Amino acid sequence: MVGVSEILNTVQMGLAYMVIALPLTLSYRVTQVINFVHIIFITLGAYTVALLGLVGLTNVWIAMGAAFLLGGALAVLDNVAVFEPLWRRGSDVLIIMVASLGLWIFYKYLIYAVLDKLFIVLRTNTLSVLVHTEGFPSVSLGGITIDGYLIDTVVASVIVSLALYLILMRTRIGKAIRAIADNQVLAEISGIPRGRVLNFMWFLSGGIAAVGGVLWALFQTTVTPEIGDQIILQVFSIAVIGGLYSLTKTAIGAFIVSGTENIVIAVLHDAFGLPLSFRPFLVFLVLLVVILIWPPLGAGGGLPYRFRVRHRSRR
Amino acid sequence: MESIIGFLISWLPIFAIYGILSISLNLEIGYTGMANFGKVAFYAIGAYLSAALTISVMLSLVGKNVPLYSIEAVQALSTEGTGALYTHPAALVGLFVLSLVLAFLVAGAVGYLITYPTLRVGPAFLGITVLAFGEMFRVFMRNYEPLGSTKGLFGLNNPFVWLGNSLLSQGLFALVALGLLLAVYVYAERFVNSPLGRTLRAIKDDEVAALCLGKHVPRVKATVFFIASGMAGVAGVLWTFYQGSVQPDTFVPILTFYVWAMVILGGMGNNLGALLGAAVFTLVDRALTFAAGMMGPSLIIPPNYLRWMIVGLVIVLVLMFRPEGIKPARPIKTPAWEAVKEEVGKDG
Amino acid sequence: MADPILEVKDVAKYFGGVKALDGVTLSVPRGGMIGLIGPNGSGKTTLFNVITGFYVPTRGEVWFEGERIDGLNPNEVYLKGIVRTFQIPRLFPSLTVLENVLLTPPNQIGERPLYAPIRSKWEKQERELARKAVRLLKRFGLGDYIHASVSELSAAHIKLLETIRGLMTDAKLYLLDEPAAGVAYDMAKEMFSFVRRLRDEEGLTFFIIEHRLEVLMEFVDYVYVLHNGKLLAEGKPDEVVQNKAVIEAYLGG
Ligand SMILES: Nc1ncnc2c1ncn2[C@@H]1O[C@H](COP(=O)(O)OP(=O)(O)OP(=O)(O)O)[C@@H](O)[C@H]1O
Ligand SMILES: [Mg+2]
Repeated sequence: MVGVSEILNTVQMGLAYMVIALPLTLSYRVTQVINFVHIIFITLGAYTVALLGLVGLTNVWIAMGAAFLLGGALAVLDNVAVFEPLWRRGSDVLIIMVASLGLWIFYKYLIYAVLDKLFIVLRTNTLSVLVHTEGFPSVSLGGITIDGYLIDTVVASVIVSLALYLILMRTRIGKAIRAIADNQVLAEISGIPRGRVLNFMWFLSGGIAAVGGVLWALFQTTVTPEIGDQIILQVFSIAVIGGLYSLTKTAIGAFIVSGTENIVIAVLHDAFGLPLSFRPFLVFLVLLVVILIWPPLGAGGGLPYRFRVRHRSRR
Repeated sequence: MESIIGFLISWLPIFAIYGILSISLNLEIGYTGMANFGKVAFYAIGAYLSAALTISVMLSLVGKNVPLYSIEAVQALSTEGTGALYTHPAALVGLFVLSLVLAFLVAGAVGYLITYPTLRVGPAFLGITVLAFGEMFRVFMRNYEPLGSTKGLFGLNNPFVWLGNSLLSQGLFALVALGLLLAVYVYAERFVNSPLGRTLRAIKDDEVAALCLGKHVPRVKATVFFIASGMAGVAGVLWTFYQGSVQPDTFVPILTFYVWAMVILGGMGNNLGALLGAAVFTLVDRALTFAAGMMGPSLIIPPNYLRWMIVGLVIVLVLMFRPEGIKPARPIKTPAWEAVKEEVGKDG
Repeated sequence: MADPILEVKDVAKYFGGVKALDGVTLSVPRGGMIGLIGPNGSGKTTLFNVITGFYVPTRGEVWFEGERIDGLNPNEVYLKGIVRTFQIPRLFPSLTVLENVLLTPPNQIGERPLYAPIRSKWEKQERELARKAVRLLKRFGLGDYIHASVSELSAAHIKLLETIRGLMTDAKLYLLDEPAAGVAYDMAKEMFSFVRRLRDEEGLTFFIIEHRLEVLMEFVDYVYVLHNGKLLAEGKPDEVVQNKAVIEAYLGG
C-alpha cells in the first residue's frame, strides 16, 4: 500500500539523488566527460559522516562540510593529474571518460584496503558502519513522526541547490563556467582562465556529490563500501533523464526515479502483484522511454538520424 | 610437468573467456568506436541462460521436480556416479552446445534491441544505457528467487565430467574453450579486414560524415553490437561450465572494465593486441593469487584488491603515456591493395 | 526553369528564435552549375543541411527528380544521388586516400555483415572498385597520394578529394560548400575548371556555395543570393554583381 512512509521515502531519496546527480550533469555539460569517480564521491561522503560519528563528532552539518572539502579536493586532484593532461594532449572525450573509469576502480579498491586496516584498529570485523549522528530532532505531526534526518536532508538539499544556482547564474565565475560549457576552445581564446575555472567547477562538483553521499548515508543508516555502487543505475538514469544537460530536468529526474522506486512499484505490487524485485526493471524502463521519446540529441553529440520519416510522397 | 598441465587446464579456459570478451569489446570500441560500459550484461545473460537451461533439462531427464537452486537439485545433478551429469553424458554435451548457440543468439538479440534506439544519441548515452542495463540485470537476479537470488545456481560441472578422470575432462574442456577462442579470433579478423571493416573505421572517425556517405550508421552499429554481444554470451556459457555455478555478484560493473583494461593495454583496434591484453591480465591475476598463497596474511594489500587497483592504474597510465597500447591499430587489409599495384603498374 | 533536378519550395528552418531560413524557393536545372552566395550567417549551409536530410525543415518541401526528399535521413538522401561536401572538410583521418574513395560506393557486397568474413564473395567487386578508384585519383592528379593518410594532403587536395570521390557512384547532384575556401587563387581556379569539366563531360549538376565571388562568378551560369534566411536576388552572375541590394547586403553584413 502507498502510505506516508512511501511518500516520505520518495522525498528523502529524491533529494539525496538530486544532490548527487546535479554535479554529474554539471561536470558533463562543462567537459563532455562522464566522471565515473562520482561514485567514489558518494562513498567518500558516506564514510565521512559514519567515521566522524565513530570518533564522536556526531553533528551532521560538520560531516557535510568535511565531505564537501574532501570530495572537492579529490575531484581537483583528478582533474590536475589526469583529465587536464589528457585534454591538453587532444584526447577524445571518450578516452578521458575511460580514464575516469580507471580512477574509479583504483579508488574503490584503495578504499577497501584502507577500510580493512582501519577496522582492525577500530576492532570491528565488518566493513559496515552505523550512522549515529545528530542534526535536527525528529518532529511529531498529528501522529506521523518526521525523522530528523529528513529535515536535515531537506534543508541541506535546498541550500546546496540554491547555492549552485546562484553561483552559476549570478557570479562571474559561474558565467565563465557556462562559457566553457558552450565552447571550451573559444572560451580560452577569449581570455577566460580555463584551467582555474575548471578546477573550481570540479571542486564544486566533487564537493556537492560528497554532500549527496552524506545524505544518502543518512537515508540508508548503515554504510558499506558498496554504498556508492548500489545507486549507479539510479544516478546515471537520472543524469540521462536530464539529458546530461539541464540541471532542472536532472532535479525532476531525481524525483521521477525515486517515485518509481517507492510509489510506482508499490502501486503495481498492490494492483497486479508485481514482485518488488522488478524495481530495477522499472528504473531502466524509465531510462529507455526517455531515450526513445525525448532523445537527448545535441547535448551528447549524436546523429542527425530519425527513426520515423515524416512524409514520403511521390508526384 | 604435471604442475604445468595443471596450470594450463585451469588457466586456458579463463584465458579463452577473457580473450573472447576482449575481442568482442575491441570490435565495438577499437573498430567502431562504441563505448560499451555494460559488456558484463551480455556475459551474464550467456551464463545464466546456460545454467538455467542445462540444470532444468537435466533435472527433468532424471524426473526431479525441485527448484533449480535447491540442495536436492544439486544432489540429483552432481552426486558422483549417480547424478544426472554422469548418467546422461550425451544430453550434457548436447546442452552445452545448445547453450553456446542460444547464448549467442539471445545475448546478441538483446544487444541489438537495447542499443539500436540509443545508437543515435552519442557515445556517452550508449555507454550509460548499457551500464544501467547490466546493473539492472544483476540487481534483478539478486532478487529473483526462481534462479537462486543472491546465491545463484549450483551443481554444474564441465561438460565432460562423466569421463571420470578429472584431468581428462578438464583438459578436454580447456581445448574446447581454446578452440572457441581461436574461432572467434579468426572470425573477427576476417570480419574487420573487409569493406565492412573500412566502414566501421569510418564510423569511428566521424559517424556523421559516414551517414552522409550513405552508410546506415545505426544499423551497422547495432549489427556489430549483435555480434559482439553474442560473443560475450558465448564467453558466459564457458564461464558457467568452467565454474560449475553462477552467482549474480560475479557480474558487477567492474568486470566490464577489467575487459576494457585488457583492450586498452593490448591496443584498441588490434585483435591480436586484445588477446595479448587478456593473456597479460589473466596471468597477473594468477601470479597475484600465487603470491598471496605464499605470503599469507602478511601481504599489505589483499591480492583481490591489489588486482583491481592494478587494473585501474593500468587503464589510467596506458591512456596517459601510451594511448595506442602494446600493439597499435592495424590498417584494414583487403585485396584492394593488390589491385592497386596492378593498376598503377599498367601505365607507369 | 527547364527540367529542374532539385526544387526547394518555401523552405524555412528555425532554431528556437533564430530564423536561419525563412521561406526560400529556388530550383537547380539538370546539368547546371549554380552558385549560392550570401553574407556570413545568411543560411547557406543550413539550406544544404535541409536538402541533405541533416535537418527536417520547419516548413516547406524539397523535391529531387520528382520525389519529395525533405524529412529523409542523410544516408537515404545520399542513396538518391546527392553528394555533399562540408564547409570544414570531413574526411576520415584513420583511412588512407584510397580507402576514403573506396568507402563511397553504396551497397557493396563486402559491407553486408554476413558476407564480410567470406572474402570470395566480394573480392572481385573490391578489385574492380580499387581499379576504378586508382584511375579516378590519377585523373585528378592524386596518383602519388593513393596510400597516403589524408593528414598528409594539402588543403586544396583535401577539397578536391572530397569532391571527386562522389564520382565513384552515379550521383547526379553535387552540393559543394565553399570548395575554394583556404585554397590559393590559382588552385581555386583550377578546382573550378575541374568542376566545369565534370559538368560538361559527365553531365553532372553542381550547386556551389562560395564566398570568393571573383572565382565563382567566372564559372557558374546562375546565382542565388541569400540574406538573413531569405532569397535576396537571383540571376546571371553579371546581373547579380550589379544588383544594389546585393552590394548593400555584402557591405552591411
Ligand atoms: N544547429 C543550429 N542551432 C542554432 N542555430 C544555428 C544552427 N545552425 C545554424 N544556426 C544559425 O543559423 C544561421 C545561419 O547559419 P549558416 O551556417 O547556415 O550560415 P552560412 O550562410 O552557411 O554562413 P557562413 O558563410 O559563415 O558559412 C546562423 O545565424 C547560425 O548561427
Ligand atoms: Mg556555411
